[in-house]
Formats: sequence, structure tokens, C-alpha cells
Amino acid sequence: MRIGSSITLRKKVTSIVAYAAIIVFLALLPTLGLPVYPMHTLIGVFIWIIVASSLRLLDLSGQGSIGHAAFMAIGAYTSGILAKFLGWSPWITMPIGVIATAAVAFLVAVPFTRVRGIYFTMVSLFFGIGVLAVNQVFSKFTGGYSGIGSIPLLFGYDKTPYYYFCLVLLVVCLGIIYRLEHSRIGLTWKAVAQSHSVASSIGINESWQRILCLGVSCCIAGIAGVAYAHYYSLLTQDTFSFNTSINVFVYMTVGGPRYFAGPILGTAALILIPEQLRSLREYVPFIFAGILLIVLFLMPQGLAGLLEQFKQKFARSSKTESVETDDGVSKRVP
Amino acid sequence: MDTIITCTVNGLVLSAIYILVALGFSLQLSIMGIFNFAHGAIYMIGAYITYGLSVGLGLNPWVSLLLSVILVGAFGLFVERFCFRPFQSKITRMIVMAIALILILQTAVEVTLGGVTRALPAFVPGILRVGFISVDAERVLTFCIGAVLLVAMTYLIQRTQIGQQMLAVAQDAEGAALQGIDTHRTAAIATVIACATAALSGSLMATIFSMNPFMGDNILLKAIQVTILSGIGSIGGILAGGLIMGLLNAFLPVLTEASIGELITILIVILILLIRPKGLFGYELF
Repeated sequence: MRIGSSITLRKKVTSIVAYAAIIVFLALLPTLGLPVYPMHTLIGVFIWIIVASSLRLLDLSGQGSIGHAAFMAIGAYTSGILAKFLGWSPWITMPIGVIATAAVAFLVAVPFTRVRGIYFTMVSLFFGIGVLAVNQVFSKFTGGYSGIGSIPLLFGYDKTPYYYFCLVLLVVCLGIIYRLEHSRIGLTWKAVAQSHSVASSIGINESWQRILCLGVSCCIAGIAGVAYAHYYSLLTQDTFSFNTSINVFVYMTVGGPRYFAGPILGTAALILIPEQLRSLREYVPFIFAGILLIVLFLMPQGLAGLLEQFKQKFARSSKTESVETDDGVSKRVP
Repeated sequence: MDTIITCTVNGLVLSAIYILVALGFSLQLSIMGIFNFAHGAIYMIGAYITYGLSVGLGLNPWVSLLLSVILVGAFGLFVERFCFRPFQSKITRMIVMAIALILILQTAVEVTLGGVTRALPAFVPGILRVGFISVDAERVLTFCIGAVLLVAMTYLIQRTQIGQQMLAVAQDAEGAALQGIDTHRTAAIATVIACATAALSGSLMATIFSMNPFMGDNILLKAIQVTILSGIGSIGGILAGGLIMGLLNAFLPVLTEASIGELITILIVILILLIRPKGLFGYELF
């Protein structure tokens, strides 16, 4: 018992130190003279990491969604339209956008708890497409396909403040997600995901927990959405389309949904590697697909599970063997 | 009156295509338990192979259609063996696999032929006139081929041994395996049928409308909608669901704005999912 807890403690300290080092490094990057374009790319990576991590939070309670970009869209469009047409300051409209996202999420979560598993995934898919259709119907305000441009910027044209703003948002959001996951609520959500009937039998209100999870997760996606709106200052139909939702889902899955670091690694790899090979132009999707295939066939637990996978490979000489379970997670059996 | 007849004819043609694509999609879903998001991309690649053979190489359009169906069917064999079989019953990784397939197929077409919209020449040019109604002959052909294939598929699934095996695997894969049914072989045959019908319907659709590398996205969504509407595992349900969807898609844009029509369709689908997840005629999958 003592040995076990000291190992977990050491692991915890190591990971905290590693995260702190990465954050400090990222915070110091602009002072070391980061050029404008990489900074722009990194800001995008920060925003999408927030979304992918919020999707993983939703996945914790067993609700796999492929319509998450719709919630981003609600926040982004609310804030963008208020700031552009009413001339309000982005600092006022951004919280309103997040609150609107959370309100919509809680509202739709109530009927959504009727369905589980793959049916929930389908509902989320059609919710995402439905939001796009609503965007078309109200094209007077939202601009329809061409979207709305020249949304008021948050800090003007210099990119450094945006970099720090998004970094702070990222750290705060990841902190919230980490705390939630390791609190009693997170454990409850994991219990609901494993078996809703067992969870109900020990007094967990399954519907309420799923509503809460969807609300919190979409609220965080809304935060990313408003940051997107006031940084890129252009929102179109394609920004939050079905492809975007699928991309976020892929970021999470490639990174490894089991791990906290999964969405972070997945997003960074899948945005930064194709970005580095930008000179290949129309062949870039091949690179993206290649990464997906490599991860699918060689890393059953995603990028973040690579370390554990190696450890297991070297430990195989001892009397353990690994058995692959349903969700691609390897378990050691004696 | 004229509008109603035109809409009905268009709706029937759309229904035939939707039903064909949805049948393949739902076959794969019930037998292998996978959501094959790449089905739309396979539909697209079928149209492009027909285009390449008939326009690029100058073959007879009918021969190129047949070749395209055979080629894409063979591709289905490859897809089942190397893309789907390793990830059976792992839904999240299955979806990622399908995304990789879509990316590869779409980019391959974009790189070789460019992303521009093209048109496949009609198999039977001309217009049919019956009384005061005039219909594009191509649409009549599409509807006829669709109807014949549907009857053939229904016969195959309901009356032949392999069809019965498919139904058995769809009901309970483990139980079917215990009865001596080779589930992998059944899955491979289902995938080949699904891919071949997708290629055929893609080619037929490309003559009526136009083709571009992203033409599969829309039809995939329609196939999913039909599958949800009808439920999994019921051929009659897919016929009814496809007819409902096709007629809705033909009439709604005439009655209201196109965007409102789309919203109505999606609302119907979401409501059915929430109120009756097993669809109008099917059973619950999980």
C-alpha cells in the first residue's frame, strides 16, 4: 500500500513538473522571438486543444459526440453577432456567448439523455448538422454560407496578446478538466460510462450526471468558440461544419481518449505535422491519413499510450501477457 | 399539377438511389456493427471510375459502368479484409479508419482529376413524353435499374442461403458462428454488395446531377437518415424510409425555402432518434 501510493505520488509529481515545464516554455516562446506565422499556428493549436479536451471530458461519461463543433459555433456566433451588430465590447459578449452555449447545452441535454451509446453519437451528429441548417435559415444575421466577417478583434492586430490570452485560457480550461476528472464527479461519470445500470443501482442519478457532463463539456467548447470568433474575426459555414466535428473527434481518438494528455498530443501532432509539410499542398491530406493509419495499426492506445505500450513490451518477458479489450485498451492479466 | 408530377418523379428517382445506398450502409451496420462513414466516398469513387473509363479511355458507357461496379466491388473485398476486420466492435477506431479512407479516396481524386465539378454523359440521352408529362429518360432508367436491383437484393436476402446467413449474423454473430456460418465470409460478401451498389448508384447519380470529389458527403448523410428512419435490419423499412426521405427531399424545397426544408428533415430524424431509437420498423442494435 505504501509503495503503491509513493509510486503514484512520484508519477503525479513527474507529470506536474512536466506540464509546468511545457507551460513555462510556451510562455517564454514569444520573448525568444517567435515569428508571426508559427505564433498564429500555435494559437490555433491552443484553441483546438481546448475543444478536443472538452470532447474527452464528454467521452468520460460514455457520450461519444461527433457534433461538438456545433456548440463551439453557438458560442462563437452569439458573441460575434452581438459584438458586430450591437457594437458591444468583446469582453462583454464573450461571457454571454459562453453562457448561451451552456444554456443550449443544458436544454438539449435533457432530451438527449433518452439515448445512449451509438444512438447518442447519431443524435449529436444530426444536432451538429441541424445547427448548420439553423445558420442557413437565419442567414440574415449569420451570413449563411459566406458567414460573418470583420468581427471586432479582442486586442488589435498584434498576435502576442492573443497568444498569452489563449495560453491562459488553455491552462485554466485544462486545469478545470483535470480537477473535474479526478474529483468525485469525474469518478461518477466514469461509473456511468462503464455501466449505467450498476451506476443507477448504487444511487447515482444517471440522467443528471450525463446532463451535467454535457453542459460542462459544451461550456468549455463554447469558451474555445468565443476565443476563435474574436481572434480569427471570420466565421463561415465551413468553420464549424461536420468535418470540424469529425476532426476534433479524430484529434481525441488519435491522441488516446484514455489519457489526459491524449487530446493534447493528438491535436498538436495532427495540426503541427501537416503544417510543417505545407509545401506538399494538395498531398497534405495523405499525410493526415497516414498519421491516422499509423496510429490505428501500431498504437492501439493512441499517441499518449505509447510510453505504456513500450513498458509493456519490455515487461512481457516476465509472466504477464497483454489482452486487448473492447475499446482498444490493453489490460495486463497475470 | 405539373409541379406535383415532376416532384413525384424526382422524388421516386431520389428514393431509388437513397434506398440503394442506404441498403448497403445498413447491411454493413447490421452485419459488422460498423458505421461505415466511407460509404459516401466509395459512392464517389464509383462515379469517378465510370467517368475515367467512359470519358478518359473512351469505352462504351455501359461497359465502363459494369467495370466500375466490378472494380469497386473488389475494392470492397480489400476494405473489409484490411480496414474493417482488424477493428471489429471498436466503434471509435472504426470511425477514424473510415475518416482515413475518405481522406485517401477524396485526395486521390482531387490530385489526379482536380476538384472541379464534372458531368458524366447520359447513358440514354433524350426525353420521354407520356401524354403531357415529359421526363428525362435518364431518370426513368435510374429508377428502373434501382427498382430491379432492389427486387434482386430483397430476393437475395430473403430467399437465398447467403442472405439467410447474413440475417443470422446480423441477429447474433456468435450464435451464427456456432451454427457453422463463416462470419468473415458473410461480412466480406455484404461489403462487396454494398460497395458495388454504391458504385452503381454513384454512376447513375452522376449522370443526373454533377460529380465532384465531395459528392459522397451528402448522400452519406441521406443514407444515415434513411437508416435511422427505417431502423436496422428491416428491408421493408428501408424501402419505406427511402421513399419518405426521397419524397420529402423532392417536395420540401418546392414548398418552402431549401434551408428550411433541410431543417425540417433533420428535426424529423432527431425526433425519431429521441422518441423511437430503433426506427419505425427495425430493432435496437445495442
